[in-house]
Amino acid sequence: MNHPVIVLGVIGADCHAVGNRILDMYFSSRSYHVVNLGVMVSQDEFIDAAIETGAQAILVSSLYGHGEIDCAGLRDRCIERGLDDIILYVGGNLVIGKQRFEEVAAKFRTMGFDRVFGPDADLAVVDRLLRQDIKRRQPCS
Amino acid sequence: MTVEHHRLELETFLASRQAVLETWPTGADVDLEEGIRYHRSIPPHKSFAPVMRAADARGVTLLQPRAGVALVDEHIRLLQQLEQECDLLPTTVDAYTRQNRYDQAAQGVEKSRRAGHSLLNGFPAVNHGPAACRQVVDSVSKPVQIRHGTPDARLLAEVALAAGFTAFEGGGISYNLPYAKKVPLERSIRHWQYVDRLVGLYQEEGVTINREPFGPLSGTLVPPCISHAVAIVEGLLALEQGVRSITLGYGQAGNLVQDVAAIHTLRELGHRYFRDAGFDDYELTTVLHQWMGGFPGNESKAAAVIAWGGMAAALARATKVITKTPHEAAGIPTTASNLQGIQITAQIVNMMADQTMPAAPVRDLEEQMIRREVDTIMKAFFALADGDLATGAIRAVEAGVIDVPFAPSAFNAGKLLPCRDDEGAVRILDRGQVPMDEDVFRFHQDRIAARARTERRDPGFQMVIDDVYAISKGRLVGRPTA
Repeated sequence: MNHPVIVLGVIGADCHAVGNRILDMYFSSRSYHVVNLGVMVSQDEFIDAAIETGAQAILVSSLYGHGEIDCAGLRDRCIERGLDDIILYVGGNLVIGKQRFEEVAAKFRTMGFDRVFGPDADLAVVDRLLRQDIKRRQPCS
Repeated sequence: MTVEHHRLELETFLASRQAVLETWPTGADVDLEEGIRYHRSIPPHKSFAPVMRAADARGVTLLQPRAGVALVDEHIRLLQQLEQECDLLPTTVDAYTRQNRYDQAAQGVEKSRRAGHSLLNGFPAVNHGPAACRQVVDSVSKPVQIRHGTPDARLLAEVALAAGFTAFEGGGISYNLPYAKKVPLERSIRHWQYVDRLVGLYQEEGVTINREPFGPLSGTLVPPCISHAVAIVEGLLALEQGVRSITLGYGQAGNLVQDVAAIHTLRELGHRYFRDAGFDDYELTTVLHQWMGGFPGNESKAAAVIAWGGMAAALARATKVITKTPHEAAGIPTTASNLQGIQITAQIVNMMADQTMPAAPVRDLEEQMIRREVDTIMKAFFALADGDLATGAIRAVEAGVIDVPFAPSAFNAGKLLPCRDDEGAVRILDRGQVPMDEDVFRFHQDRIAARARTERRDPGFQMVIDDVYAISKGRLVGRPTA
């Protein structure tokens, strides 16, 4: 898969637009096919876009603190809609208040996210991990 | 929906008012007349307009944090701790309420009760309703402002003003382009005319509510001329509806000379455009927002960024400064961190209070550039308005005459591209459709070219990205690594 399809967006009622633009630019420059839904994206909009484009991964951003509420149930909803194997990443300031990142990451992994990133994640690392994860999920590879 | 600039007729206002109050059950508890009686009983030291007026007369800079949590008791405790250190109090509203998603805010309140701590990033004032909001105002001894980011704030304003809040932030452009994805300007301008008309009704009863257009916009490398133009246009729209106490805002950009010049010209140009439009019975004050972009994660480094904002506000004699916290990079701060932000700012504001920024040719040049840029944008705005300023605002955004960098709205042109110059001042790399005199644009280009020579690279989007991250990575100008 030379051009993996990924869906990007900022979940819930969050309108932080700057990071989203930069992720779009970065992943596009790394030859992903980026489907960017922008800010204020609902769970169903992420899933609809992933189904329509046959995406391998959904990258959810949240910077305003409501991530815990907005992301709850996303994995189950993906499975209900037939996206059993889709890769789910989440990153940003995911909870209210300064909490230990390890605890936040554990909480979101329990919610069904494959990987969890802080607001200062190195995008080159995200790129490397994403390629690994996509390769691993590919049947007969 | 048609929008016109003239003052909304009382009948038109009252006709839409019933529908507004019915959008959530707490709207039924809004009692305008009781609210007005309550406001008349508020002592001046607890009311925004007189406190801002007095600070302006004394030439001092007041301190105001941002703060809001899900539950009423918790929110009152938070404000009672903050008021020990600050001059003006906020009530920051959560992001669900900002999008009128009151059912989701209700769930957030419920989940916060169960979790024992706030899961919302602000205070859901509409859900709590006028009586609970009144408790908040009654429990503190300083003026309290509603701060939010709501394209349609009609019900929020009804609830908050009836409850006794004495200041209300926002405007039809500044709370649309940076805070919404697909709300047409026609709609947000119309809805903010309603808010301003409501404030006008209180004013007619002798109750002055302070209004503050949101200065920083996207908070990301916004050139002063853009935020000034938005502030002046929103000020004119508010004055027309009967608003009389206006605080114009600006988000710190980071270069001290440019930031001081920006606050000076904001006040000067605000007065000039308001008076030219025939208004003379208003009060104008200013606010500087400490750096609104990305912060360093290290709390000591964040403290330095906060202090630098305090310095700019004090030297520019902004009437108030909105403080950040050492937790900024991690999101919503604890009470302790919020207090630290205020204390850091208080120390530097007090130390700068007796010092002035000497007049200097570099500052004159910055001020002259901002004046000329704003005048050119306003000239295009008035031409598009063709006598109707509300229509002018809509057309100016549509035409990209007003263009906010990095705004999420689909209705924003998004063609203007800013970046820093060699000394960190925000300049315009691509002007898009924003009108600029050729020699002024050349000034911007020359400054950016000088930086490009220093960095031995061409100006471009990578430079902009580097600037977006620079402060969080420890410096002002996004220099290339290696």
